Amino acid sequence: MDKTWEVDEANTVKAHFGGFGKKIVTVNGSEVHNSRKMGPKGTIPFSLPDGRSAVLSVKPQFVGVPSIDLKVDGNLVVETGKTPVKCAACSTVAKPYDRFCGKCGKEMPTAEDYEHQKNLKAATGAIKVLAVIFVLGGIAFFFITKGTSDTALVKLEGMDQTAMYPTPIGGRNYTVGELRRQLAWEPWGVLIMNLIIAAIMLALSVWARRAPLPAVLIATATYAVVITASAISDPATLGQGALMKIIIIAFLIKGIKAALALRTASA
Amino acid sequence: MRSGTQFCPGCGQALVASAVAPERNAARPSSARFIEHWAELKRLGWLFGLLLATSFVFGIAWRSAPSPWLDVVASTIDAVIVLVAVALRYRKMLFLFHLRPSGLRDSAALVGIAFLFVALASAYFWAIELLGVPVASATATFTRAGWPLWTVFLLLSVMPALFEELAFRGVIQSALERILNARDAWLIQAALFSVLHLSPLMFPSHFLMGLCFGYMRRRSRSIYPGMLLHACWNALVVLKELYL
Repeated sequence: MDKTWEVDEANTVKAHFGGFGKKIVTVNGSEVHNSRKMGPKGTIPFSLPDGRSAVLSVKPQFVGVPSIDLKVDGNLVVETGKTPVKCAACSTVAKPYDRFCGKCGKEMPTAEDYEHQKNLKAATGAIKVLAVIFVLGGIAFFFITKGTSDTALVKLEGMDQTAMYPTPIGGRNYTVGELRRQLAWEPWGVLIMNLIIAAIMLALSVWARRAPLPAVLIATATYAVVITASAISDPATLGQGALMKIIIIAFLIKGIKAALALRTASA
Repeated sequence: MRSGTQFCPGCGQALVASAVAPERNAARPSSARFIEHWAELKRLGWLFGLLLATSFVFGIAWRSAPSPWLDVVASTIDAVIVLVAVALRYRKMLFLFHLRPSGLRDSAALVGIAFLFVALASAYFWAIELLGVPVASATATFTRAGWPLWTVFLLLSVMPALFEELAFRGVIQSALERILNARDAWLIQAALFSVLHLSPLMFPSHFLMGLCFGYMRRRSRSIYPGMLLHACWNALVVLKELYL
């Protein structure tokens, strides 16, 4: 993995992270670090030719590659991406270290803003993933529930529709007819509920482009409620896919924080 | 200097006399506001999380042994949670506890929205019934246990109206209005209100409820009209279950 930061017109920092933990950091082409070891808390401190102190920090993530940041004199530096940085007002290509657009004079986003945008994008992505999971889960559970309902319906065949079913279900007594209707509805109920939640998530992911904070807030609350409601109907579901649930919630909470930070900054 | 540059990319100063700088913030907004808003959101998260946890615990208990006493305990715990949340930000939502004399236009709007809500919510539940979707009865455990009618109305009509309005239109909406704009706060509280009822089938009807009660609170700048409509609607549902 290679990363580049143009700190200013005179200094460019490059970092190469090899497959076996090898870390090579170069400043304007000359090596300043070449080792598998890092400093405390995953940092690589070094100095720029003009004497300013720089720190490269590697933070492991829940999923995917670790996040790597460069700070010069305590200020986060914008990473030089594959696509050039453009001014939001006039679309003029700017350098990553520009604080203002050279053509229109508009303030350029800071490195923190880029970080927040990245987290927000991850949260919006998580909402889309949730929409897909609910559609697929809905279809899968429809067939599973239909199988068990059909088996139960076969057992009820031939019984008097108006007669009371001998054993209460969930503390309630049902007639055979009521129970048949309930069983026939069950797979459709599961499918419709999952599709409703998927539609909500999809709508929220679209709305997140215009109003990220409200959309991510509602998505997080909805997801928490869905986990709780499933756990009430079957407590065993609480532990199923626990890691996935934690990762999604972590992404969503990070997204809320990022959206709030961007909103506060642009207020 | 790069070609075509009219402003210094480092400090934003105009380099050409004719260049007009865009409007800029004198200073970047301080992180103090972010910290304050984040703390506010965390408090709301706690309130929502505690209400959700109560629903979870009593939902599990209800599944193993349904009893009206569970409703009593759950409602009491919810009430305590909400009252603590109200007490913590009482000064900021004090304006909601006044009944202001409203003009004819405002009164007509409130009555109109109440009728519209009752019509739409009734249509939704009628459609659900028509489709044959089984809806759980709220009053069944009370009638089976032989509890008097006033307890059914107190626990299913009055208490939810009081404490849900205090929580959602009171604490949550007023806190969100400080972080977001009024429209977003209104939408979010309605969404939170609908999802906290834990039934995807009820999401649309309860979202509509949240929108109506939230609108009434915004229009009247008081929590009472929404509370009254909420209690009336819950009472109607109870009456329908008991007598129709």
